[in-house]
Amino acid sequence: MSLGSQAIRLAYWLDALPQYAAFKALVYDWLVNPRSRRRVWFDSAMIVLILGSVFLLIYEAHHELGDYAGLFERFVMLALIGEYLARMWLYSASRKILIEHYEHAELIGMRFRLLPALWAVARSKLAYMAQPMAIIDLLAILPSYRPLGFLRMFLLFRLLKLFRYTRSLNAFAKVVVEKRFELFTLSVFVGSVVLISSIAVFLFETGVPGASVRTLMDAVYWAVITVTTVGYGDITPVTTEGRVVAMVLVFSGIGVISFATSIVVMAFHEKMRELHDNRVFSEVERLNGVTIVCGYGRIGQVVAQRLADAREAFVVIDKDEAAVARARAQGYLALGGDAADGALLRALRLGQQATRILCLTHDDVINVYITLTARQMSPDILVISRANKQETVPKLRHAGADHVVRPYEVVARMAAEFVGQPVAFDALHDVVTGSKGIHLEPLPVPEGSRLDGSRVGEIDFAAGNLLLFGVIRGPAAEPPQEHNHYEVAGKRFFFNPRPGFRLRAHDILVLIGYDVSLSHFRAQHRQTAPGWWRGRR
Amino acid sequence: MTACHLALFGCNALAMEVAQRLRAGGQDFVMVDDDEALVEQAREAGFRVQRLDYTLDESLREIGLGSRIQGIFCLLPNDSQNVFLAITARAMDPALRIVAVCRQPEAASKLMAAGADKVVDPYAISGARAHDLIARPEVVELLEETVFGQQDLNIAEVTLPRDSWVGGRRLSELKRHMRQNILLLGVVDAEHGRDLIFSTRNIDHKLDAGDVLVVIGAREQVEAFRAMVAGSAAPAR
Repeated sequence: MSLGSQAIRLAYWLDALPQYAAFKALVYDWLVNPRSRRRVWFDSAMIVLILGSVFLLIYEAHHELGDYAGLFERFVMLALIGEYLARMWLYSASRKILIEHYEHAELIGMRFRLLPALWAVARSKLAYMAQPMAIIDLLAILPSYRPLGFLRMFLLFRLLKLFRYTRSLNAFAKVVVEKRFELFTLSVFVGSVVLISSIAVFLFETGVPGASVRTLMDAVYWAVITVTTVGYGDITPVTTEGRVVAMVLVFSGIGVISFATSIVVMAFHEKMRELHDNRVFSEVERLNGVTIVCGYGRIGQVVAQRLADAREAFVVIDKDEAAVARARAQGYLALGGDAADGALLRALRLGQQATRILCLTHDDVINVYITLTARQMSPDILVISRANKQETVPKLRHAGADHVVRPYEVVARMAAEFVGQPVAFDALHDVVTGSKGIHLEPLPVPEGSRLDGSRVGEIDFAAGNLLLFGVIRGPAAEPPQEHNHYEVAGKRFFFNPRPGFRLRAHDILVLIGYDVSLSHFRAQHRQTAPGWWRGRR
Repeated sequence: MTACHLALFGCNALAMEVAQRLRAGGQDFVMVDDDEALVEQAREAGFRVQRLDYTLDESLREIGLGSRIQGIFCLLPNDSQNVFLAITARAMDPALRIVAVCRQPEAASKLMAAGADKVVDPYAISGARAHDLIARPEVVELLEETVFGQQDLNIAEVTLPRDSWVGGRRLSELKRHMRQNILLLGVVDAEHGRDLIFSTRNIDHKLDAGDVLVVIGAREQVEAFRAMVAGSAAPAR
């Protein structure tokens, strides 16, 4: 058996091994995954280690270090090496490259050769090592090697490593990279201004008695200090010509500073959004049963308020940045973006942590589109959509909405009722919206509770300041009883049941009453009945 | 023009929705708007429409405000327009019933101050409903299908006639005589404004002629209750 075929067998074996994949995923979670909690722990630990080792470096300048410091240094080094290797391991899947080479060779009927395949693996690892972050990692490890003592200064590179562990520092690095064109323009401008003025001032000043500019280096140093508007004043021009150069340089300095500031501010402004979005994504990942509210208009605001009152987790999405800012001002999780964007919904974990989506934008077309997008992502989620026009309702249903809310219909319904019986409808309106603190509340009958098996007449609802509207019971399994009932969505609703009506587990009592009475009643009937009481039945 | 006692201001999508609902309820009404295109659209849908400027008092008088018209709906697209309309209409007819929609929550109190009897906030209600669909779907389904829907379970108000036997008696007494399968939601005392006293408050209210009882039940049962209350003597037990 050749070395090559053994390597291939090993590759296939690893590829099929679930533990290997799970382990790799775990390490990925610790080191790389931008949205994992474990990574935060790992990053924090590494920051402490690095700050510790740099502190030792500073302390060493004036003090003698004990043995423990050496041990600590060794530990830090091992941690850094381990991290470096782990990252290199994660960067590319060697076994996959090997398998790919092998299958490719099989396909075209050639003999598999191990060396080119290994070279491909090495190339991918080298590509990793060439990355800026990887170079910094390596430079942070090297000074620990004693023979390279002169590299001691490179320990400072460990501080650079902090970039890796803190997202905000990372954002700064990204700003520099993204704005490289602007920064390049700026540096060309600054470079030429500094060059011209330093040469000019050198020519004018040098040789003049009493002048502080003696060498070209002096002139360049003076030009840089002046153009950045720092102006130490240790070197100053004394000739008129030199001073004219200084004046011009001061004004171009103001330009340079404002230009540089605007670039950085702009870039950060753009970056801030991304940072914020990332925070929202990771926040959502930690929660469960999240509701996504698309559209923070008036309806969205009401829903968000109610969800917040009920302490439920939710995220607001709106295209309009002003609306997002309003939502954030309320302390809600919110981000700007198009809710019909599948990638955004996926990032918000729709179908996993997020189980409900409300499409409440004022545009029916967009609502249909969001509904369809959401429904395609998961069949299990609850989709509630808003329709302004009657014609949209069947379209929304077809797109996969579970429920449709129609603001105009609500007004029409109320208006029509108001003409006939204003008082009655006021009452119903108050109950439905809960605006006067009165609610229509469902209360399930738990199995084995005091309610289970008792007659409606035995429970004194009036004493608890409650009104029993009716009882909802599952589909009929036995022949119908004497009570007449309404069929509601496949369930039976017994309106105003008679005192003899016997409750069962899993029935739902529908009660009308004030918040206080309802929660009191709920608390009273949550606990199960004492054993002796149940025994008598 | 025949006498109709309701006027709808606005011919926008919202107003059309209301108009359809009113027509289904057999109401007679006239729609009013200033925009030619919208007026035409409503006319095509088969509604009686009048094009006029609501800011002019005489044109309002023309359609019968202050005389025939008993109720108006302010469904104009802006809150400020609705406030203006409500103020104008209230000044012309103190007995007019005015229903207005509001777009912004702050406008609700302004509309009430302007003289509206009822302010409907479509967005607040829709928002509440969207949340209820999450928090208590059973209740929403229940109401949709029974009280708001096709099934025979209705909310109704029963006004106590002058010579009713119930006059001067207590609520608890009335309850003892109730044999119908209906639920008494509450009472509006004619002397104490229009606020509903929910029966869950457990106040044993003294009933008078003119008080309004709000009940829920099947149509036949509600009618039986109405007849029972209207009698001049208490039913035999």
